[in-house]
Amino acid sequence: MRLNLVLELLDVPGQLVSVLEPISGLGANLVTVIHKRDSKNENGKIPVQLTLEGEQESLNRVIERFEELNITIIEKDGVINKELVSTILIGHIVDKDVRDTTDKINSLDGVYVVGFDIKLDGEDKSTALINLETDYGKKQFAFDEIAKIADEKGLLMINEV
Amino acid sequence: MKECKIIIMGFGSVGQGIANAISLKKEMINEKYGVQLKVVAVADSSTSAICQDGLDEKLLIDIKKSEGKLSAYPDCGNNMSGIDVLDAVEYDLLMEATPTNIETAEPALSLTLKAFEQGKDVVTSNKGHLAIKFSEVIQAAEENGVEFKYEASVGGAMPIINFTRETLSSCGIKSIIGILNGTTNYILSRMTSEGSSYDITLRESQELGIAETDPTQDVEGIDAACKTVILANSLLGIDATYDDVTVEGISSITSQAIDLAKKDGYLIKLIAEVSQDNLKVSPRLVKKGSSYDVNGTLNMATIKTDLAGDITVMGLGAGSLETASAMLTDVISILKNKY
Repeated sequence: MRLNLVLELLDVPGQLVSVLEPISGLGANLVTVIHKRDSKNENGKIPVQLTLEGEQESLNRVIERFEELNITIIEKDGVINKELVSTILIGHIVDKDVRDTTDKINSLDGVYVVGFDIKLDGEDKSTALINLETDYGKKQFAFDEIAKIADEKGLLMINEV
Repeated sequence: MKECKIIIMGFGSVGQGIANAISLKKEMINEKYGVQLKVVAVADSSTSAICQDGLDEKLLIDIKKSEGKLSAYPDCGNNMSGIDVLDAVEYDLLMEATPTNIETAEPALSLTLKAFEQGKDVVTSNKGHLAIKFSEVIQAAEENGVEFKYEASVGGAMPIINFTRETLSSCGIKSIIGILNGTTNYILSRMTSEGSSYDITLRESQELGIAETDPTQDVEGIDAACKTVILANSLLGIDATYDDVTVEGISSITSQAIDLAKKDGYLIKLIAEVSQDNLKVSPRLVKKGSSYDVNGTLNMATIKTDLAGDITVMGLGAGSLETASAMLTDVISILKNKY
């Protein structure tokens, strides 16, 4: 069977070899490699597309090996790996239409609200913790866009470092 | 015997710390570097003590504590203050520890420029002139061929400027992210451990002397923003001033926000970010147990480098003797270079 992967590599010599080298040793065959050194992603890394062929067991071993080597797998057979991030909003969240806020976040490309926890403080400002799932590499985009929404509604946004 | 005649400007907590540190370490400095440190003048906001033969550091502190002004120093006390003191006595090095003024940068700016014109080296803990006119001040030091050092202006005793420049000199610096204000870190740490509100915690910190009576500079992020400017200029070569920093303080942080963060494995910290794309001070979420998880009045900074990866430093960000230690280290590096 075949497996399509998109990996993310540092732009330093030897990276591609270190990824390709274990493949045959683990009983899988390399069908295609697409490696464009001049197209870096927003993390400053180079995405590499691989197509592998082999028994399921061999392919699993390859993936395990990549994980041991701390190689980031962005996409597996067309399914994008997700990142989980959190943010906190403080302000008049309920008065400023909380439904509209989450709808706006959900409408962002590759950004999904997966958790929402709100605490009210009487008449005062409320505080909400929002858990987000973002497509790989979309984290900063999500923060930037939510910052615009927060700004419009006069909410303070607290992001991850 | 070689001698380094010192003027101390500003005799509050840091100024007194300098006198104390000199008194404790002058023998060691003499033995190790062959230079005798001699304090020839000390000035507070309205009076001074001046003596070409040298003043007694311990006596200066005692007089200031008991009388409230330096004019009470036996035989050498007088009512001269500020810039005139620089003309009243022969000296080699100015240790400037006047209060930071983010509006006018005075009196630090005039004192520093005057000392440069007189061909004297300057060591400072002040942030005002550096935050508003960094390049102007540095250029003036270069034009006059004098040394100007300001390690104590960022992070108190925590080594960062000299450390990054000298110990990490092989590396390019991509960014610096850290906690650069001890007062806000104390308040946020207490709010986290006690579950108390911002107002109550601030009042408690004021009673303990950790927060000032007017806490604006600390809690609104102004102090951290000044330090952001200094790091941007000195370590990342960004020609920035205070106005280029996006600043958000901690006064809107609710105990609910801290609770929610905690539940999700996070802490809220006032984080300064210094990079080519971002000069920013704002409350941020940091992972519990990460290098940003430091409590109390501690400061920390993670320096992201191209060759060495991430390096994190931590230390006491304020305090009389702690800040003075950084200034005395600057003095020693000048002695090593020039004397």
